[in-house]
Amino acid sequence: MTTTGFSRRNFLAGLGAVGAATALGGCVTSTGSSASGGSATGPVTVQSNLSAPAAKAAMQALIDAFNKKGGAQASLNTVASETFRTQLPTYLTSSNPPDVMTWYAGSVARSYADKGLLLDVSDVWTGVTGYSDALKQLSTDNGKQIFIPINYYFWGCFYRKSNFAKWGVQEPTTWAEFLQVCETIKSKGVTPIGLGADNSTPWVASGWFDYLNIRINGANYHRELLAGQHSFTDPQVHKVFDQWKTALPYFDPKGTALSFQDATTNLLQGRTGLMLIGTFLLDTTPKEDVDDISFFRFPVIDPSVPVAEEAPTDGFFASSRTKRVQPTKDFLKYLTTVEAQEAYLKASSGSSLPANPAAKDAGTALITKGKDMLNKAADLTQFFNRDSSDALQPTADTALIKFIQHPEQIDSILTEWQTNAKKIWAS
Amino acid sequence: MTVTLTAPAVAPPAAAGPRRRRRTLSPTLLAFVLVPLLVETFWVFWPAIQGVYLSFTSWDGVSPATVVGVGNYVELLGDPTFGRALLDTVLWLVLFGGLSALGGLGMALLLLKDRRGVGFYRAALFTPVVFSLVATALIWQAIYQPDGLVNTILGALGLDSWQHSWLADANTSLYAVIVPALWRQIGYIMVLYLAGLKGIDPTLYEAATVDGANKWQQFTRITLPQLSSVNSVVLSVIIIDSLRSFDVVWALTRGGPYHSSELLSTYMYSTAFQSLRLGYASALAVVIFVLAFGVILTYLVRAFRDADA
Repeated sequence: MTTTGFSRRNFLAGLGAVGAATALGGCVTSTGSSASGGSATGPVTVQSNLSAPAAKAAMQALIDAFNKKGGAQASLNTVASETFRTQLPTYLTSSNPPDVMTWYAGSVARSYADKGLLLDVSDVWTGVTGYSDALKQLSTDNGKQIFIPINYYFWGCFYRKSNFAKWGVQEPTTWAEFLQVCETIKSKGVTPIGLGADNSTPWVASGWFDYLNIRINGANYHRELLAGQHSFTDPQVHKVFDQWKTALPYFDPKGTALSFQDATTNLLQGRTGLMLIGTFLLDTTPKEDVDDISFFRFPVIDPSVPVAEEAPTDGFFASSRTKRVQPTKDFLKYLTTVEAQEAYLKASSGSSLPANPAAKDAGTALITKGKDMLNKAADLTQFFNRDSSDALQPTADTALIKFIQHPEQIDSILTEWQTNAKKIWAS
Repeated sequence: MTVTLTAPAVAPPAAAGPRRRRRTLSPTLLAFVLVPLLVETFWVFWPAIQGVYLSFTSWDGVSPATVVGVGNYVELLGDPTFGRALLDTVLWLVLFGGLSALGGLGMALLLLKDRRGVGFYRAALFTPVVFSLVATALIWQAIYQPDGLVNTILGALGLDSWQHSWLADANTSLYAVIVPALWRQIGYIMVLYLAGLKGIDPTLYEAATVDGANKWQQFTRITLPQLSSVNSVVLSVIIIDSLRSFDVVWALTRGGPYHSSELLSTYMYSTAFQSLRLGYASALAVVIFVLAFGVILTYLVRAFRDADA
């Protein structure tokens, strides 16, 4: 018998079993609410989209530290971020989902919570002290906490200190000063504003739309617009693009043909003067250049509008269908500790701020300046796709890239944007 | 069971054995038919049927799907992006298909004769076929960069005004994407034609030369007719490859900028997995299926009729 371990009969039986299994799992449209399968024992599975080498290593360090404590155990499963993004709805609706998943706070997390897919983690929050009310609010849906933030970062107009000194320009605070700075840089033969919004990272352009809109119409209008309560054809939105047009001559004409990584290289090598981007640009900045990098707050346009800043918050949520409720909560609780957040920041590039205010950040001048900027802000926004949805992001990419290349077509661009956005909001 | 029981009574005893064996299906044979059918049903037919069902719904992948009737198809008719994608797909079929057939035939004719080093050129032209299209696209992405090879060469030739953001310009993106696809496909088609050309009887040419036919006459009267069977293979390969083109476009432009290089396949993918409108994307998938099936079926029916005649 040992020689016929893999007999034809076994093979056929196996095939039949596979077919039957497919029959059971084949119902892609069924979103039954009862959890089946999945075991109540075993480690907490953590599905992570942090696939960049540094971030992946940082996650692993975090999991190892948690496992070393004894008690509940966790295991990490890292998925390429693009795959993760497209598969997330499947993870959440599967009958045997990963217990914990990385994602973003705010509107995107709430949309899943409203469908009953996220675990209520209010009791994890009750023991947590010192977190800001804003962060708690961001993690709350219908009075229940559904999200555990572990860090956040900020956006700003990044530049090289040595280059600004060389060109004799100062950080501008108003729009008029900003345009003046651009003019001076241009007179030195350098492209003033870098942009990295090619087909691989078109969303970078949304940073400009977000900031202009929150400076002109305020953060509340911005969030309402992204939620479908206003039309992209409103005169208020038109004002955003009129303002943008005044800066457009200073944009890098190749900006829509470069990824943000390439655009970062241009900034570092002095081919462009400044760039509106998040702190993640530090991930691709060589160590010796980091100290020369600084940023200034996006210029104020209308002084009567309270100053808001983009502070995208990253963290974790858990599936409501998990069978390992207590170990999952134990793990999430651990993530809120000073120890865990410092361990994570130490292993990553240190370009973000810990969500727990007691945890130490990287402490560099740049990070301290960013923290200060966020503390002074009257309101915080997340980012276009996080304040709206991932589904709305492609409509913005299409509209904004077209605007940058053909600003004269703004009326038809906004009409088209509204048409496309309406389909997303309706579905 | 009744068949096997009654069989011996009707048939002469001597013939009963073999006849019985012929009438009973062996369980192994049955399993070999039924198991793949079962697997196929659940992995191919069932998802396909479900895709058709989904095309009549509105579904975001999370909430239960709601039936909207023919709403998605009505929307398709008035969707300018769909129109653009359809037009681009036709353009792709004509340009990519046409040029790769002509280029492949040209290269095959050029490299047919056994001269010194011809093997090197054949291998060189075939090399791109070995790479995956995604890898090919990455190479070409670097070539098309604003500071990439194409613009550098144009600059060196003094053609600065021709320099371009090839992939980011709505006027050039589709054509820029076709080039790497062609670069790969020509080598493939060349190999098919080389095989066909090698199979032509050389005495035909000898006879033609004796009759005083020139090269062009030999090509049109002998080579082309002799290649007819290869042509039908090439044509089906081209049509199928054109309609399933996705990887190179997705890797280079994702259908952008603003849908200027959108094919039906990329539009379906972005609608499904970026906009999360799975119902509408399923309607697109059904349209692609009908188009592909229609084109291939009409073509194959004709090809087989010709072959029988």
